[in-house]
Amino acid sequence: MRVALAEDGALFRQGLVMLLEAAGHEVVACVAGGDELVAALANDPVDVALLDIRMPPEPDGGLVTAERLRAAHPDMGLLFLSHYAESHYLVRILEIGTEKVGYRLKEKVGSVEVLSDTLSRIADGEIVIEPVLAKRLVERPRNDRKDVVARLSDRERDVLRLMAEGRSNGGIAGELYVSGKAVEKHIASIFDKLGLHGDASVHHRRVLAVLTYLRSQRGEN
Amino acid sequence: MSDASDDRRRHRERWRRRLCLERQLHDGAALRISSMALRLGALDRDAPAPGALRRDIDALQDEVAAALEELRAVAGQIYPPLLHEAGLGPALRELVTARGADVALDVTADRAEPAVEGAVYFALVDCLESSPGPLAVRIRTEDGSASEEDVVVVVIEGADPVLAPSVLDEAGPLGGTVDVTSGSITARFPCA
Repeated sequence: MRVALAEDGALFRQGLVMLLEAAGHEVVACVAGGDELVAALANDPVDVALLDIRMPPEPDGGLVTAERLRAAHPDMGLLFLSHYAESHYLVRILEIGTEKVGYRLKEKVGSVEVLSDTLSRIADGEIVIEPVLAKRLVERPRNDRKDVVARLSDRERDVLRLMAEGRSNGGIAGELYVSGKAVEKHIASIFDKLGLHGDASVHHRRVLAVLTYLRSQRGEN
Repeated sequence: MSDASDDRRRHRERWRRRLCLERQLHDGAALRISSMALRLGALDRDAPAPGALRRDIDALQDEVAAALEELRAVAGQIYPPLLHEAGLGPALRELVTARGADVALDVTADRAEPAVEGAVYFALVDCLESSPGPLAVRIRTEDGSASEEDVVVVVIEGADPVLAPSVLDEAGPLGGTVDVTSGSITARFPCA
């Protein structure tokens, strides 16, 4: 896979290049800030760009850089790496794009297998979210009667958590040891309970389900 | 300059120093340790599998992840980075979500200096930790007149009045005040 990365910490940048190359990926650009990355990829887009969130242009250069990259190259995957996994940034990332995006903790992509799996799922169009964040968001809902997620069953909440991690129906079925049909039924019920009807595509509704959920956790519903 | 305003200036300076310390942790130790995770991953690729070396590398990676988790907890107690980057609303929502606390938040305050945002945030951390029941927190900015500074006003409904002194510990050094009425604490944090 062809990749590029922007990260202002020299040590981490070197470590990431080392690991990407060990995994057999071609690193076409390796820079210290967002503006340099946009310039480097202007005429030479890659499969996935890896971005630190907290880098120049300060304070959250990764996000503004990603917006520019998505506008210029809509097919390019975006993987955000951060020292923190926070729902605030997840919502901002999903506002930039709901396909081919990922948000993971820096130290959790520290193996060739995990890094390559993350990159290929993003390149395939999935949303890849740090599992600890998806888990924290879904399993500890606020004790709020208005909370939309309170209307979901335990099993539906499991399915939504895996959806929030960007899993496909097949992946969710495998994880929960149930049939693909059962997963479809749970998802239809989640869409129904979250009020996601109409002619939006299934993919679009999946993303909206995750966003609705995240927003409810942030008290914005 | 009066003693009181000199104290406030020094206190504000201490908050700025906390902010710098968090930044130093993030850009220094945390980044250095994260890059070790990646280097270990590259080593793991070259290690003969399966063997003792591979198991050692896995164990070291777990240690690295645990060290980073501890650093994040420390950094959050010094000055949460999200508070500085996005303000009181996002930082408090993240806190409430992470703790699964039963708190209704209504934050309309403008961005304020690091000292005021830090003091409000940590005053509420104390209340959250010590309040078993549900809380309703409202935070707004009261615009000052030409001669007076803006004030961030925090109303905590459902808080036990015994928490008032710990809120005053945060508001007082900035020249703020705390009032207790039945069932709620109102704190005022003046901006510089």
